[in-house]
Parts: sequence; structure tokens; C-alpha cells
Amino acid sequence: MSTANVLFGWQPMADEIVADIQNVYLGAARNEGIFRNLNLTLKAGHTAIVTGGPGSGKTSLTALLTGVGFADEGLVEVFGESLRPRRIWAINRVRRMIGGVGGIFGLVPSMTVAENIAFPLVITGLSKRRRQAKLLKMLTEFSLLKKAGDYPRTLTRVEHTLVQFARASIGDQPLLIIDEPSAGLDQATTARIFEFLIKASLSGRALLLLCSDAPAHDLPNSDIYHISNGTLE
Amino acid sequence: MSRLSHIFRELGRSLYRFPGTALGALLSLALLFLLFDLFWIAAATTEQLYTRLISQLRMEAFVAEHVIDTEIPPLQDAIAHTEGIIAIEYISREKAREVLHEMLGTDLLIGYDSANPLPRSFIIEFESDALNSEDMASVCEGLSGFPEIAEVTYSQQWLKNAEATRVIIKRFGLALGVFILLTAIISSVNNIRLMTRARTEGFQQMRLLGAGRLFLAFPFLIEGMLISGLSAAAGWLAINYGSHQISLTQIEIVYPVIEEIVIFCAAAAALGAISGYLGIRKLLR
Repeated sequence: MSTANVLFGWQPMADEIVADIQNVYLGAARNEGIFRNLNLTLKAGHTAIVTGGPGSGKTSLTALLTGVGFADEGLVEVFGESLRPRRIWAINRVRRMIGGVGGIFGLVPSMTVAENIAFPLVITGLSKRRRQAKLLKMLTEFSLLKKAGDYPRTLTRVEHTLVQFARASIGDQPLLIIDEPSAGLDQATTARIFEFLIKASLSGRALLLLCSDAPAHDLPNSDIYHISNGTLE
Repeated sequence: MSRLSHIFRELGRSLYRFPGTALGALLSLALLFLLFDLFWIAAATTEQLYTRLISQLRMEAFVAEHVIDTEIPPLQDAIAHTEGIIAIEYISREKAREVLHEMLGTDLLIGYDSANPLPRSFIIEFESDALNSEDMASVCEGLSGFPEIAEVTYSQQWLKNAEATRVIIKRFGLALGVFILLTAIISSVNNIRLMTRARTEGFQQMRLLGAGRLFLAFPFLIEGMLISGLSAAAGWLAINYGSHQISLTQIEIVYPVIEEIVIFCAAAAALGAISGYLGIRKLLR
């Protein structure tokens, strides 16, 4: 039984729809027009790469998928849950199945690296033995063993990103949202991160990459979209 | 780190990072509860004093001159059956003379044995429930209706004053209770808000990762409970220390029993938990 199944009681089958955004309008009421008839379907094992300039709505897209913001019109469904205001339990359940890096995702300043990485497992109530085993695996995989007891304020930008990747993967979260995956990273780390993303995609996880420009590395089963004038092209 | 250990670790973080705020809240709440405890003791002592004084209150019904002695027993019986009366004692002219003698230390009626002018009366004792101005006035009115009774007297004005004082003390206690409740809540809420303000970013991240509201609020509920409960206990400890240093011979001070103190501290802790939730509520939206 996979960790995702144990933690979330939900294991995406190949090609199963993970996130579905249909005819979404956002900001129209405020004459901002962030999204106009936005449509995006993301399936398990697939990757959606969304490119766009600053202010194009990439962060708003993350907000929609995590229940931080809500569409003025249209449908946003993640893991079969319709994300609407006041559906706190559904939103929390969805958030636990999302691994996030960059953008609105950050680290908890008062927690150590190890505590930050293990936090998704703490809130799902996984046993201490399994949690520690997974934590050790993540710390090793992302070369963070020596930093386990450090606080985020003492980390470099690269370490910061690596901790977020480790946290986004510790529970095999079925959906990974990565805002600017290579921002501030050197070439070697970027290559390592993409190697990790390829593995994640091949293991059946759905990936949503938000970046200014199309990434230099290829990802399996990926589609590239450009966000412009509130729609995806 | 289990969910429970995470909650306690978060609680420890709050207290470790803001010891001054926690100590300040603890001391100010302890002072507030001490004030309440003192009032509680004062009110209980006053109540006991009032009950003791009121229990000594008697009504005296004077027998009319025309009533002959053989009519006294049926009259006494009739009065004894009046609602609220627990005991009745007949005071004959001779008994009245003895009482007067006892009071003054000398018999003023020497030489007037055949013409004792003192009136005959009944001393009436009331049930504790009937020892109030309303019931006593009603009995007084009833007794005055007897043709055999010439006059009925009791300390009517004193009783009214005592009751009015009691009402004032009760109202003051209620107002003080509400005032202390509000102050304790506001103080705890501000304390928790101060502690959480610096951790807003962390809370948002934890929410984004799917942490539930109760999970995030729990450390602060416990913190509010601890601070408030400990403050209440500290107030009682101070009272306990003070009670061993002071001894009053004139008044017996009434202290609450241990069960009442435990309930009070538990209620204070519950109040603290509510304050903790109110303090963090905005962050959980």
C-alpha cells in the first residue's frame, strides 16, 4: 500500500483527473479580470507547465487550487472536491494532498528543518516510526541531514527550496504545485530538482509547474500552457 | 513528533519566546482573581453574619387587657398554626416582671405585686424561610386582626435595612463578577494575540498544508487554560497564606470549601480556554 493511500485514503489511478478548472472567472467583479473563462484539467502522472509574466495570475491559480482564493464563477475541483468558501473540511483534506514549493508556500519559521519537513505527516497522524523513516529518507535524498535541527532563518535560498521539496514529497502528496522551480538555484541543483520531478511524475503524481519561461528540462507527459489575458493558451 | 507532542511543543514555544507576556498575564490575572476571592470571602462572611443576626429576630404580640387567662391557651394555639411560625412562647405578667428584673438588675415593681402593670405577650419565632420583611409583615398583619391581640411589634425598619444592604452586596458582587470576567477575557485574549502576532506567517503556512483550525488553536487554548487556572490557584494560595497570618476574634471569617475553590479554578481555566480561542480566532479565518 502506498504512503499516499495510507495518508489520504485516496490514490490516483493513472490518467485520473486530479484537478479540474472549468470556465473560471476571477476578479471580474473588481474589474481586474485575472481569469476569464480559464480551463485546465490535470491528470495523475501528467504535468502542466504554466508560463506567464509577473501579474499574469500564476499565484492566483495556486490560490484557487489550494482553497486560499475562490472563483467568482466556474468550477474548481481538486481530488473530486469542489472548492468553495466555508467547505473547510474539504479544503483541509485537499491541502493535505498537495505538496507546494515556492510562491505562496513557505516554511514555518518557528520550526526546525526536520519539523517543517515532517509537518504534513504530523497533521495526517502517521505513526512515529513511519514518520521518522520517511523523514530520514527525505533528509538524505535532499542532502539536509546536517541541517535537520536548524531553523529556516539560517538556511540559504537553495536549502530553503530543498526543504520545501522534501516537505512536498514526504507524504507522496498526489499533486505537486511548484512556483518557479529553478528560481535562485544553481544549474546543478536545478538539474537535481528536475531529476526528482521526473521521478515524481513517473510515480503517478500530478505536477503543476508555474514559471516565467518554459523550463530547460523536459518532463514526461507534460503540456505547456501560456497564461495571458486571463486565459490559458 | 505526534499531533499531541506538536501541540505541547507549540505551547512551549509560545511560553519560551514570550515569557514576559505570559508572566505579565499570569500576575495581572492573579491580582484580579485575588480581588474576586477577597470579595467572595467578604460576601460569605457578611452573609453568615446576616443569617446569624436575622435568626435572632423575634416578633412580640401583646395580649389585650380584656383577655382573661383561660383564653390564652386557645389563642396561643391559633397563633402557632399561622404559616411561617416555628415556635411561640407565652410571657405572663410575672414572667415579664422577671425579664425586666434581669434586664435592669433591680425589680422596679416591689410593692406593686397585686397590680403588675406589665402586659402579657407572645414571643414568636419564625422559620428561617419566613425571616424576611414581606413574610413577617404578612404575619404581623394577620396577628393584628385577632381581637385578643392589642399590638404586634418587631424590628421592621432594621430588617428592611439589613435586607437592602444584603441586596446591595449581592448586586455589587454580580457587577464585580461580570467586571472580572470581562477583564480576565480581555487580558487573556490580548496576551494570546501578542503571542500569535509574531507567528502569523507560520500559521498561514500550517493552514496551507491542511492543518485544521482546532489543531492550530489547541496550544493556545491550553495556554489560556494554564495561565488562567494557575492565576486563580495563585489567588487562593495568597488567601490561604494570609488567612494563617490573621486571626480575628470578633468575626469568624468564612472561607470557601476546597471543592468550591477547585470548581472556581476549573471555571477560570475554562474561561482561559475561551480567551485562548478568541485570541487566535482572527488567525484561523
